[in-house]
Amino acid sequence: MRVAAWLGRRIGLLLLTMLAVSFLVHLALEVNVDAVAVKVLGQFSTPDQRAAWLRENGYDAPFLLRYLRWLGHFASGDWGRSTYYQEDIVKLILPRLAASALLAGAALLVMVPLSLALGIASGVRAGSLTDRGVSLFAILTTSVPDFAMAAFLTAIFVLGLGWLPGVSTMAGGFSLRELVLPVMVLVLASTGYLARMTRASMIEVMGQPYIRTALLKGASPSRIVFRHALRNALLTPVTVIMLQIPWILSGVIIVEVFFAYRGFGTLLYQAALNSDVYLVEACAMISVVAVVASQLLADIAYAALDPRLRGK
Amino acid sequence: MKQRRHVGALASLDGGPLHADVAGLAASLAAGRLDRRSFLRHAAWLGTAIPLGACGKVAPPSNDTLRFVCAIQQIGDPALSAWVEASNLFRNSLEFLTEVDAENIVRPGLAESWRPSDDLKTWVFTLRPGVRWSNGDALEVADIAYNFRRWLAPASKSVNRTAFAAIERFEALDDRRFALHLSRPVCSLAEQLYSATCPILHRDFDRLGGNWPANPIGTGPFRLTRFEVGREARFERREDYWGPAPRLKYIDYIDLGPDVSTHVAALAAGQVDVLYRITIAELDLVRSLPQARLLQHKAAWTLCIRMKVDTKPFDDIRVRRAVQLAADNAQMLQLAYRGMGEVADDHHVAPFQPDFGALPRQGRDVAKARALLAEAGHPDGIDLELTLGNTIGRWEQDTAQILQQNLADAGIRVSLKVLPPTEYWSVWNKVPFGLTSWAHRPLGIMTLDLAYRSGSTWNESGFADPAFDALLDRAMAIVDPHERAPVMAELEARLRDAAVMVQPYWPEKFTAVSPRVRGHELHPSDYFRMDKVWLA
Amino acid sequence: MKRPPALVIGVAIVALWLLVAVFAPVIAPHDPLVSFKPLLRPGAAAFPLGTDLLGRDILSRLIWGARPVIFLSLAATLIAYIIGVGAGLLAGYRRGVLDAGFSFIANVILSFPVLVLYLVVIVALGPSYLNVVIAVTFGSAPAVFRIVRAIAIDIAGRDYIAAAVTQGEPTWRILLIEILPNAAPALAVDFCLRLGYSAIIIGSLGFLGLGLPPPAPDWGGMVTDGRALAFAFPHLVIFPCIAISSLVLALSLIADGLREARQ
Repeated sequence: MRVAAWLGRRIGLLLLTMLAVSFLVHLALEVNVDAVAVKVLGQFSTPDQRAAWLRENGYDAPFLLRYLRWLGHFASGDWGRSTYYQEDIVKLILPRLAASALLAGAALLVMVPLSLALGIASGVRAGSLTDRGVSLFAILTTSVPDFAMAAFLTAIFVLGLGWLPGVSTMAGGFSLRELVLPVMVLVLASTGYLARMTRASMIEVMGQPYIRTALLKGASPSRIVFRHALRNALLTPVTVIMLQIPWILSGVIIVEVFFAYRGFGTLLYQAALNSDVYLVEACAMISVVAVVASQLLADIAYAALDPRLRGK
Repeated sequence: MKQRRHVGALASLDGGPLHADVAGLAASLAAGRLDRRSFLRHAAWLGTAIPLGACGKVAPPSNDTLRFVCAIQQIGDPALSAWVEASNLFRNSLEFLTEVDAENIVRPGLAESWRPSDDLKTWVFTLRPGVRWSNGDALEVADIAYNFRRWLAPASKSVNRTAFAAIERFEALDDRRFALHLSRPVCSLAEQLYSATCPILHRDFDRLGGNWPANPIGTGPFRLTRFEVGREARFERREDYWGPAPRLKYIDYIDLGPDVSTHVAALAAGQVDVLYRITIAELDLVRSLPQARLLQHKAAWTLCIRMKVDTKPFDDIRVRRAVQLAADNAQMLQLAYRGMGEVADDHHVAPFQPDFGALPRQGRDVAKARALLAEAGHPDGIDLELTLGNTIGRWEQDTAQILQQNLADAGIRVSLKVLPPTEYWSVWNKVPFGLTSWAHRPLGIMTLDLAYRSGSTWNESGFADPAFDALLDRAMAIVDPHERAPVMAELEARLRDAAVMVQPYWPEKFTAVSPRVRGHELHPSDYFRMDKVWLA
Repeated sequence: MKRPPALVIGVAIVALWLLVAVFAPVIAPHDPLVSFKPLLRPGAAAFPLGTDLLGRDILSRLIWGARPVIFLSLAATLIAYIIGVGAGLLAGYRRGVLDAGFSFIANVILSFPVLVLYLVVIVALGPSYLNVVIAVTFGSAPAVFRIVRAIAIDIAGRDYIAAAVTQGEPTWRILLIEILPNAAPALAVDFCLRLGYSAIIIGSLGFLGLGLPPPAPDWGGMVTDGRALAFAFPHLVIFPCIAISSLVLALSLIADGLREARQ
C-alpha cells in the first residue's frame, strides 16, 4: 500500500516535470507565430498566405489556449506533420526510434556487464595493479569526446586495419558489422564512468563490518563478493546507469551523425537544421520521456535493491 | 566536299525539306568556322534528324535493382522544381517534348518532330503516336496545351513563365500537331523544352491535387511506387511502356544525407551502385577504391557569388566593382577546387560553351578596389555578410573562405553565414550577398536569359538593363554560333562591367559508380536517363 | 602535503593550454586564416603539423582554436556556478516553497539531454557564441544547484549555524561565510569535471556544424572539415581530436587528484 502511494507520488511528479518541459519547448518554438508560419510555408510565402495559414491553423488564439490544444493533440497521439519530410510525425519517428533503441540497447548490453566486472575487479582489491589499470582506462576513455573517439576508432579499424565499414547507413539492410563501431564508441564513452562508480561502491561495501566479520570467519573471498557484497554494491551503479541515460542520448546523436546511422538522433539533427518545428517538438518530448522514464526506473530499482526500503 | 555530301544526306525529322538556315550552318562547317559537333547540335534545333551514334551492346530486360544515392526532396509540382535532383526522380516517369543527350544534341522526345518557320517565330511540333499515360489515357495535344497554359499563366510561379516569355500563343492544329507562336525569334526553343522544369504532366494534374508523388501519372518507362522525402523512393519498370523496354526492373533512390564521404563509403561497401555526385574532397578516396569507378565530365556549372544590385551597400556599383577586382579567381580554383577546372571571368559564360564570345580577361587589382571603396565612402573598408548553403558540397564554403582572404586584402571584411542546404534554397534570391550554385546550361545564352534578364524569376541579383535584354533578344534569333559570338561578347562585357557577381571558376564534375554499372553517362546538366542503364 | 602525480600532470597540461589560448597571437607561427600550400603532411619545419585542405597551418589553427573552447566553457561554467551556487545555498538553507520550486526547475532542465536542449535552442534562437554559452550554462547550473543544496541542507542543521542565527548574523553572511566554504572541496572537483564536460559539448557542437562559423578555427569544426580526406590525410582529423581530448583529460586528472588529496 505504501509502495503504491510512493510510486504514485513519484509518477505524479514525473508527469508534472514532463508537463513543464512540454510547456517550455512549446514556448521556445511557437511563441513567435510569424516565425512558425515562415518555417512551415517557407520564405517564398507572401504575408497574405502566412496570415491565412495562421488563421486556418488556429494561431490567432492566445498562446495558452494553443498550448493546451497542442498538448491535447500530443497526448492523443496526433503529433502533426513534418514540414521537411512531408510525413506524419508518428510514422516518421517510430522506425527511427526503433533503430536508436537497437543501438543504445546493444551499447548497454555490452557496457553494463563490462563496467560492473571492471568495477568489481578493481574495487575488491583497491590499489592493486588491476585497480590502477582500470582507473587509467576509465579516466582516458571518459575524457575523449564521442566524436573524437569515433575518429580515433575509424582511423584504427577502418583506415588502418580495414576490418570494419566506416559508415552505418544500413543501406543494404541490417548489418551487424556496421553496428560494431557506433556501439564501441558509446560503450567506451560510458564504461569508464560506470566502472569507477561500481568500484567506489564496492570499496565502501567491502569496508562494512559484516563483510569484515565474514572474512574473519574464514569465508572465501569470492563467496563474500558474490553472496554479500555485490547486492549492496550494485545499488549505486544501477542508479548511475539510469542517470547516465541523458548523457548516452547525447552521445547517440553524435554517433549517429558521425556514422550516418539512420536513427532518432539524425532525425532530430536534421529536423533542427531544417527548422522543422513540429518534428523538433516531438523529438524533444520523446527524449525527455526517455530520460524521465529512466529516472523512474532508477528510483524503482533503488527501492527494490535497498533492504531498508524493501522492509517497509 | 566530303562534308557537303554529308549535309546533303541529312533529312528533317518530319521528312519535309530542311530548314533554310541549315544551309548557312553547312557553309560555316565547310569553311571551318564550326566543328562537326557544333554543326549537328545547331542543325538539330531546326528539326533536322541527327543519326544516332553506334549503340553499344544492349542487354535484355532483367530483374535487377539499381541503388542510386540521391537527395530526395519534395516534388509537389514538377514545373516549380528548383532542384535538379528532384527532376532526376520524376524523369523516370515523366517525359519531355524533346530530349538533349549527353553530347548536347536535341533528340525527339514526346514530340517526334518539330519545324520552325524561316523567321524562327512559329514552331510546329508533331507528337509521337501511340504514347499512353500510366493510367491508360492516350497522350493528346490537350495534355501539351494544358502544360503550356499553366507554365505561362500570369500567376505562374514556374521559371518557365520567364524562360518561354517569347511564346505568345499555343495553337492546336490537329490531334497530333500543335504550333507555338512567338513574339520574337528564338532558335534554341527545342533544346529549352528539355529543362528540368518542363516535364509534360497529365491534363488532370491540378484536378488530382497538384502533387505529383501523390498521383504519379506519367508516360515514362518507370512508375513511382514509393516516395518518402529525405529517405527513399522506388521506381518500377512499366511493362506497357511505349518505347524500348528498360533493362532495370527497379531503381531505388536512397537519401544518405548531405555528407558525400558517407556516400562513397556506402559505395565501397557495395551497398549502393551509383552516386549522384562526388565532390573534390572525395576524389582521392574514390581513385583509391577498387569498388568504385570514377566518372569525370566538363560542364558549365559554377558558383555565382552575387550581389543584389538594389540593396545597400551593393546599390553602389563601386562597391561591387571593388569586390570583383579584389577577388582572386585563380586562387579560389587552385585552393578550394584543387585546380580541377578552368578559371572564369565573372560573366557566367564558359569558354567551352559553343556560343562563347572571347573577351580580354579582367585581372585582379587590389589597389583599384581600395580606391573605389574609398570613393564610395568606405575609406576604412567595409563589412559584408556572405550567405551560403553548401548546396552542392563543402567546397562552396571553401571557395567562400578563399574569397574572404582575397577581399581582406582590399579592406573588405566578409563574415560567412552558412545555412543548411534546404534553408539556403529558401533565401537564395533574397539575401543581399549570396553564394549560389548554378547548374549547367548547354548554351551561355540560356543562362544569361534565365538569370540576368530584367524581372526573370531566377534573376537573383536584381540586375536590370534594357540594353542587355535587347541584346539577349538579338542573340537568341541568331542560329549560327559563329555569328552569335560577337553579340555574346557584348553581353558578357555588359554583365561583367555591371559587376553583379564574382563567378570564380568552372569546376569539373565527378561522380562514382560501382564497376557493375553499365550505360550510365554523366550528363552535363545532370539529367540522367535511367532506362539505358543496366548492371553487368 | 603530498601532491598526487595526476594532479601535477593535469595542472601542467591545463596551464599549458591556458597559456596557449591567452598568448595565441604571439605563439602561433602563422595567421590561422591565411592559405599557404594545401595538404602538406606533418613534419615540415614551417608547418610542423601540416596544412589543411585550404593550405592553412594546422598548428596555428589548433593554437587559435584553443580560445573558443577554453573561454566559452569557462564562461559557461562560471555563470552556471554563480546561478547554481546562489540558488543551491538559498534552497538548502531556507527549504520550503523556494526549495521545492528551485528543485522542480532543476529537475525539468535535467530531464533534457544536453544536446537536445541545444538543438531546441538552435531552432528557437539560431546558432551563435552567446547561445552556445546560454545552452551550456542552462545544462550545468541545475547540477551545481543539486550539489550545493545537499551540502547546505546538511550544514544548515548544525549547531553553530543556529548559534549564528541567534546572534543576528545576516543571511548572506551565513550562506557565504559559514556554509559555502564547506562545499568548496566538493565544488572544486565538480568544477574541473564540469569544465571538461563543457569543452566536450562545445567541441561536439563544432563537430555538428552548429559551432562557430567558418573560417574561425574551431577544434570540432576542424574534425568535420577534415573527415572526407581523413583516409589519405589523417592528420587533419587526428590532431584536433588529440587537442580536445588532452584538455578534457587534464581536467579529469585535476579532479581526480583533488579528490584523492581530500581523502
